[in-house]
Amino acid sequence: MSIIWLCREEQLAPGEKLKVANAEVGDICVYNLDGVFYATTDLCTHATASLAEGDIEDNLITCPVHWGQFHIPSGKAVTFPCERHLRTYRVSVRDGEVYADVSAEAREAEKIECVQI
Amino acid sequence: MTKERIPLRPIDTTPPLRNLDRICDMESGRLSGKVFWDDEIYQQELEKIFARCWLFVAHESQLPNAGDYLTTSMGEDEVLVVRQKDRSIRVMLNACPHRGNKVCFSEAGNARGFICNYHGWSFGADGGRLMGMHESKCYEESGFDKSQHGLRQARVDSYKGLVFATFSDEAPSLEEYLGPMTWYLDVVLDMDGEGSEFFGGCIRSTIECNWKVAAENFVGDILHGGWTHDSAARAMLGSAVANVSDMPESYSVNWNGHGYEFGTDVVGNAATLGEKNINKYLHTIRPRVAEHLGEFRSKLIGAISSATIFPNFSYLPGQNTVRIWQPRGPHKIELYTWTIVNKSAPEEIKDMWRKGCMMTFSPTGVFEMDDGENWEYCTKTSRGLVTRYQDLYVGLGMHTRIDDSELPGNVFRGQINECNSRAFYQRWKDLLEAPTWADVPDRNGRMR
Amino acid sequence: MAACADGGGDVMAESNLMQGNERMAVLDERARKAEAFLLREARLLDDERWDDWLAILSPDIHYWMPGIENRRREDRLGTYSEKHMAYFDDRLRDIERRVARFRQPSAWAENPPTRNVHLISNIEVFEGECSGELLVYSCFMNLRSRGLDEQHQLVGRRVDVLRWEDGRLRLLRRKVLIPNAMLLCKNINTFL
Repeated sequence: MSIIWLCREEQLAPGEKLKVANAEVGDICVYNLDGVFYATTDLCTHATASLAEGDIEDNLITCPVHWGQFHIPSGKAVTFPCERHLRTYRVSVRDGEVYADVSAEAREAEKIECVQI
Repeated sequence: MTKERIPLRPIDTTPPLRNLDRICDMESGRLSGKVFWDDEIYQQELEKIFARCWLFVAHESQLPNAGDYLTTSMGEDEVLVVRQKDRSIRVMLNACPHRGNKVCFSEAGNARGFICNYHGWSFGADGGRLMGMHESKCYEESGFDKSQHGLRQARVDSYKGLVFATFSDEAPSLEEYLGPMTWYLDVVLDMDGEGSEFFGGCIRSTIECNWKVAAENFVGDILHGGWTHDSAARAMLGSAVANVSDMPESYSVNWNGHGYEFGTDVVGNAATLGEKNINKYLHTIRPRVAEHLGEFRSKLIGAISSATIFPNFSYLPGQNTVRIWQPRGPHKIELYTWTIVNKSAPEEIKDMWRKGCMMTFSPTGVFEMDDGENWEYCTKTSRGLVTRYQDLYVGLGMHTRIDDSELPGNVFRGQINECNSRAFYQRWKDLLEAPTWADVPDRNGRMR
Repeated sequence: MAACADGGGDVMAESNLMQGNERMAVLDERARKAEAFLLREARLLDDERWDDWLAILSPDIHYWMPGIENRRREDRLGTYSEKHMAYFDDRLRDIERRVARFRQPSAWAENPPTRNVHLISNIEVFEGECSGELLVYSCFMNLRSRGLDEQHQLVGRRVDVLRWEDGRLRLLRRKVLIPNAMLLCKNINTFL
């Protein structure tokens, strides 16, 4: 278990996302999808781009550079040119604070077949 | 921290051509066909006119939402015109600063940004900022700084919906560039205080003529109307075009090479559409126009008239066609045609104008058919070397200037008058001869 | 059945054209008559027999040739639109005006005449929306020559609705689609 603090719950309205720097695992992107929080690596798996600068549509994050898309809850790459899935982190919310377990994938991610290197 | 941008490479300025007086002498109203044919002159025009002047790129109504874009060209430079989130409009080169490939291939649409097909360089819709590229890691390893690269931006300004851009930093402001012509532009852009819009997209065609032949035709040549367009007038109106010279009050005005010739007959141009309801509409709104723009300008809303904003943007009040003559070498233009209507006009009136504009001034328009033929052969005869040096007469209406007119601009008596053509070619020559904008002489008040 | 009577409606909208493909092919005598109609029409145009050509148009004709727009596949506006600029968006009155211009002695750009060849091919005939109508697809190639060295070529597809009126086929609706988003010549001084 390696729990890190991401943000306060009220910092992130539904439909919003936020980049959180982390020296250990690299930048993390936190998302609020209709009140449920998720976290993935912030760096796009295709080219250098911060997903926190992208747009959220229907549970998908669109990379601001080549407009490839990932399914936020599972990290699954769904749209060209993104082919490699995103690393996800398991999120928990306690007392209005959002945390991530950087040693665990999101539960939704465990269901997809992993093609990551 | 954003680093300061490396300055853009200046556009090479070549020495002005010599002896232009011999082929363009507007003091005596003499021109030579060489100006329509010569490739050296054309290259100078791209550099000293199209890369320096304010050029029309779009009407704001074509880009209602953030991310809406269209592609057009400024001279032969292809550009993207993009509506921003803050409602401003940006104009940038449609060419990737990596290998120069075109980045956007569609004529219009809505986009987050533009990604080059070649190596995946990606540009934001917000001013062509370089966002990243395919295999970006490799660039980073070689110390690449993406903040130094992006789509080259043009200066942008607009007047009542018409968006203009220039790649010249030293060009005067758009306001100064247009001068008092805006007073006349209001007649089509804002006749009732509610503005105007482009309606129904764009039609594009190609004419094998020099761009100046077309621009000059609109800047101040109503003379050809009664003769060239006799067949179209008879077809649409059932009778010949009235003799324009019989009209009691008409004028030609110009400023900085822009020109507008007009009668005060309210609906003479509009009548050629052959739609009674359009005439009726104009007569109905005229009192409102008089309230907004005054009695005099309310007589111009659909009158026999035409105009060019230097160098290549033209329109016809009444027929409501708006067009740009895109230069494609000395002997060819691409013609983009739009229909402009009052925002407040009823939908069926707008649609009637869309159809009427196509029926009269478009590649299938009964008027334009005879124009295209004339313009092509005004250009092509100059292929002959001797022909090229034959004097062309542009002297009609010398000494008709009205010095005490209350109308803005350089005002001349009568619309059958070549004063606007002379002002157009004089401005053309002045720009070709001027190494910088500061060297362009001010001829306002002195043209004959 | 009002749409069948007045020549309006959107029989030639894309969605309906798809149905047109599924509609019954006409393979009997009517198909040969439709084909003969189109071939004769081409000859009438080439020969500038304007009265004879006007006589094969229905009084309710809608003759439409939309401008083609170069848009991305995902753009819902598509390649052309009824609301946008069109080379022709004509009723009979408009067509008669165009013909009236061709006939003026002062139609300078028509004298010497433009010499036309209309080639018609790929003719397919289907049952129409309404009884007494045929839906006819065809392709055309139009070659125009003027002066000594001018030559302009237009190629495209057409969708026609032909209707039996007083025992004769007449052109009720025509949609003309060319592939060009920019016309590569100065005008279209013919009908397609």
